[in-house]
Amino acid sequence: MNIQPPNSSSIKSRFAVKFVQAMKRLSKRRGMGDRYKRYRATRAAARVSLAAAVGPERAWSRAVLRRIKKRRGLIGRTTTNPRRNLRGLVPGGKGMDYCSLLSETAHYITCLQAQVQVMQDMLHLSSP
Amino acid sequence: MDKDYFMSSGIPPPQPLHFETPMPNPWSSDQSFFNPNSSLIHQFPHFDSSWTSIPSSTAAAALAPPPLAADPCFAERAAKFSRFGSRSLNGRASPPPLKNSGELPGSGGESSVSDQIPAKVNSRKRKGISRGKSKEDRSNSAKEAADDGSSKRSKQSENCENEEECNKSEQKPPEPPKDYIHVRARRGQATDSHSLAERVRREKISERMKLLQDLVPGCNKVTGKALMLDEIINYVQSLQRQVEFLSMKLASVNPDLDFNMENLLSKDMYQQQLYPLDSSIYHNQNVQHQQLQGTSISTVEPLPLDASIGLDGFSENLPQFPAFTEDDLHSIVQMGFLQNSTYFAVQNQTSNMKVEL
Repeated sequence: MNIQPPNSSSIKSRFAVKFVQAMKRLSKRRGMGDRYKRYRATRAAARVSLAAAVGPERAWSRAVLRRIKKRRGLIGRTTTNPRRNLRGLVPGGKGMDYCSLLSETAHYITCLQAQVQVMQDMLHLSSP
Repeated sequence: MDKDYFMSSGIPPPQPLHFETPMPNPWSSDQSFFNPNSSLIHQFPHFDSSWTSIPSSTAAAALAPPPLAADPCFAERAAKFSRFGSRSLNGRASPPPLKNSGELPGSGGESSVSDQIPAKVNSRKRKGISRGKSKEDRSNSAKEAADDGSSKRSKQSENCENEEECNKSEQKPPEPPKDYIHVRARRGQATDSHSLAERVRREKISERMKLLQDLVPGCNKVTGKALMLDEIINYVQSLQRQVEFLSMKLASVNPDLDFNMENLLSKDMYQQQLYPLDSSIYHNQNVQHQQLQGTSISTVEPLPLDASIGLDGFSENLPQFPAFTEDDLHSIVQMGFLQNSTYFAVQNQTSNMKVEL
């Protein structure tokens, strides 16, 4: 029962728009000088934008969005560098069975790749 | 996890079927062991001809030690036990020795013979006899409780299996349609419900591992699940770290982001599916928009781009907002859950930027 693999370009475009808007909002904020705070906010925006671009059709994106809704610590996840366990890396991976974990990982990897490409493009474009 | 194994819409409660031919004591504890056989005989009468010889030899072997060569098919069937996967028997404490050839000495042989011949007929114990401890003990133990859950499926597949072995044919026996996922038992492999479900699960896992292997670069040389998993974990971690690094860089060059939108949207790679955005929410909630140039975006209605004019003035005119809170994250999310519509952005020069709370 494999769901369709993600369409990379659609995810890229959706993520790009959301992320850029989030970054714009971020840049307009006061108290966001060139600081660690800005970095954390950017990282959170990236993660959330990706999950929002994917939508609720995937377990990992649902897990990310659930975290936001619960207003729990969304940001500190990756910095702590979880143990080398696939369940710890993929969001929402703790409660899944192994098969679903693998398919979620595949989708997650695709989306991460798209995200990296978009962000790289943004970097290249902003400061050529 | 059991539902993963059984894959059926409704697992009937386990109902032990009673075996009708006389069986020796060692098997009395395993009544369900012979169920498939009896029900097979009753349900698939046209296989009776191939089956009639077996129960008789079964009974004969069970009740009295027959000469092993008496059954012409026995050696052939016994030889096939070696190919069976392993599964621990329900009532067996120690794994019985593997005896493939026809020579089975004395009482030990008798038990093996009586083991093997009924096991031949009744697939549920087949593996355990030939192989002893199962490889998938953990999943077996998890499924011991629901032994007869998919008895129908095991019957069907067992019928295929035995039919294959005796007739060496691959015809699928006629079956009343059930709502289970019909799994074809392969030749030479055990066909009880647990092993079937396990095999399906293993196939699913290996299929997904293959998918992952295609995704992760450099995984082709790696074989084996453990190494592959390590590679996958490494790759996911590296991707996440890359995102973090890029976000750090982007955070430092943030003021230049205003121009990124235009350039981003003009990139060809993003235009295969153009920006199905939720523009309606923008107007309703007065979120700041940016006008985009629609020259390269042909399928979307033309959006005038006015990147440089108003955006520079925004930073001063905008009301001051609190730090990037999770409310902002909510707004990103809420933008995403509306229906997609074509992007229609209007620039708000009046700086009515309000974050959706």
